Amino acid sequence: MKKRLAFLIVAVTTLLLTGCGGNENVIEFWTPLTGEDGAYMDQLVEDYNDTDPEHPVNHVITSDLYTQIYTVLQSGSGIPDLTLIHADRVPSFVNNDLLVPMDDIISQQPELNEDNYLPEAWTAGIIDDVQYTIPLDIHGSAMYYNIDLLEQYDVMDWLDDDVVTFDEMLELEGQLEEGHYVVNDALLGWVALAQLQNVGGDIEGADGEPTVDTDEMREVIRYLREINKAGLMTPYGEDGYLMFQSGNVLFSTDGTWSRLAHEQVESLNFGVTNTYSHSAEVFHNRSSAHLFSMLRSEERTPEKEEGIGEFLEYIREHSIEWAEAGQIVASREVVEDPEYDQFMQSFYTQDERHEDSLYIYTYEHYPYVAEAIDNYIADIVHGEMDVDEGLHEMQRFVNDRVAEGDAELEDAADAVEDFDDDVDTNE
Amino acid sequence: MDKSKFSHWFFIGPHIILFVVFILIPSIYGVYASFTNWNLMTSPTWVGLDNYRTILTNQDSSFHHEFFNGMKNTLIFVGVSVPLMVAIPLVIASAIEHKKVKFKNFFQSIIYIPGLISISAAALIWSLIFNSQLGMMNNFFGADTVWTATQPYAWMTIFIMTVWGGIGGNMIIYRASISNVSQDLYESAEIDGAGPIRKFISVTLPSIRFPLIYTVVMTTAGAFNVFGQPLMMTDGGPRESTTVLMMYIRDLAFGSGQSIAGMASAMAVLLGMVILIISAAQYYVMNRNSA
Repeated sequence: MKKRLAFLIVAVTTLLLTGCGGNENVIEFWTPLTGEDGAYMDQLVEDYNDTDPEHPVNHVITSDLYTQIYTVLQSGSGIPDLTLIHADRVPSFVNNDLLVPMDDIISQQPELNEDNYLPEAWTAGIIDDVQYTIPLDIHGSAMYYNIDLLEQYDVMDWLDDDVVTFDEMLELEGQLEEGHYVVNDALLGWVALAQLQNVGGDIEGADGEPTVDTDEMREVIRYLREINKAGLMTPYGEDGYLMFQSGNVLFSTDGTWSRLAHEQVESLNFGVTNTYSHSAEVFHNRSSAHLFSMLRSEERTPEKEEGIGEFLEYIREHSIEWAEAGQIVASREVVEDPEYDQFMQSFYTQDERHEDSLYIYTYEHYPYVAEAIDNYIADIVHGEMDVDEGLHEMQRFVNDRVAEGDAELEDAADAVEDFDDDVDTNE
Repeated sequence: MDKSKFSHWFFIGPHIILFVVFILIPSIYGVYASFTNWNLMTSPTWVGLDNYRTILTNQDSSFHHEFFNGMKNTLIFVGVSVPLMVAIPLVIASAIEHKKVKFKNFFQSIIYIPGLISISAAALIWSLIFNSQLGMMNNFFGADTVWTATQPYAWMTIFIMTVWGGIGGNMIIYRASISNVSQDLYESAEIDGAGPIRKFISVTLPSIRFPLIYTVVMTTAGAFNVFGQPLMMTDGGPRESTTVLMMYIRDLAFGSGQSIAGMASAMAVLLGMVILIISAAQYYVMNRNSA
């Protein structure tokens, strides 16, 4: 009986430990791709593994990527070999010394260079002249239009110069059928950040401080409120995205990836253009990017790094599959492939003027600024909140969070200094 | 070796291990983190009572505003939902237990099943019901209200969803307790001339005292931890009027940008203390009054 029990315990323990182990050659690749795009990445990884590489890739989708990353970094084990992170995370990750530069990989794979990628995506991974990431895509604001409604209101000519202006939209004030709107308020925070660039503003002050309560932001809000006040924007709290899909809104300001969902609506005859602006001469589409990066880990061997380089090179050559997910592929080779033109998002890479419009915020505290804007912008634009009060709240929101982070960095620096002093004294 | 000396550890051991690993150690570390400045990436830095001072006394701080707004909204949720989550199941359980009611298990199942549906799925269902374009509420009743963006309707949608999904569990407990109440007591009450309401107040309620205390305390503690319903139904709006404390805590610890886990932990500790005090008070008051 005792022997049987001992055997059972050993067998179960062995099984459990085997489960914990895993193949040392496998590249553990974590992404936050919980939507349909996850399936496209699965396919890319599967295709790569079918080439029988020495280091196959295991794609792990995690809904809360950054929390998971913090957890494994704290524990020091189970750190993924490769991660797909958003552009706005790069500065803080680098400042906290969490990322490994891509230098070795770039030297092993010479095609992984600036010339072979869209510049906005490539430069999003550069901090202090060091390349920390290799880009996969740019994904950002896109403005879809309902062709049938544009024709109904005889305003197809608004699209002639690829930029719909506030003045053009205001032409339809008082002209719309009941229940129809010119534009929705989907991803309004992103729209505001694009407008901020249009009017020459920024979210970073001269000394690196966050700036939200500014004259430029006030101007952005004035433009947006004007559209709302004229009854042209979908009402407060309404699902403007759904209203566009149900054929009641001329323009929808959502993301490049929304094309997939819009295509599912049979009756929706739509196209894509740039996010609206106050002037046809100046326009931006607020964007982000998915970037391949390597977290600092002692478990990653040079051989595995080589394998990562081979995988990234494969992705660079074959990421046309990724265009299916609705993203603007970062690889120049893919973007210039005639096959890519069939994808709607190729609109944004048709020429230099459009490529330049893809604006990625890389300010260290951008996530706080974006969160503040997302929290308050709809209330302010729809007149539910006073402009001054809203801007003040946003600025306070960001300042307090930044101050917390700064205090921590100062404390950490003091701790390092104290440690150095102790070492000196002991010496 | 005396086997019986250790046998109880085999029964209680697994639970103790799980409790220590997943509850006790994280809780202690959470309390420790509340006295630190911590972004989850670097080591926590000890700041003493700074986080608590900021949250409780610094009126210029957004953390102070978030804590008190979150606590106010949480208390609104608790204050409205707990009585509903106790009273409605109690009434339903009493009604089902009435001897003339047929298909008791069928009705019980109908009321219990929503509790098995995840909050996300339930929120999707209710969001569509209240959707001003596609929803049943507006199309059937001809309303043009944007339910989730207008108060007090935003709160109403949250309460309706919460009650719909949450009354089943308490109802099962009440029904089981009521069915155990001796029929002799009801018969004696009837002989004394008691009507249905008198019997409910003087016989049923005192007889199910302990299940009642248990459900009130547990429902209250659960309600303080509300998160999914306002997040999914209203996203905290309009104008943060349904943003509950757990939403702020999660945003601070795991939102965008660097984590502010120390401040989030301090808020969580304060919330925990409020739950502890209110639960203890409820237990004390109810136990004393019914003793």
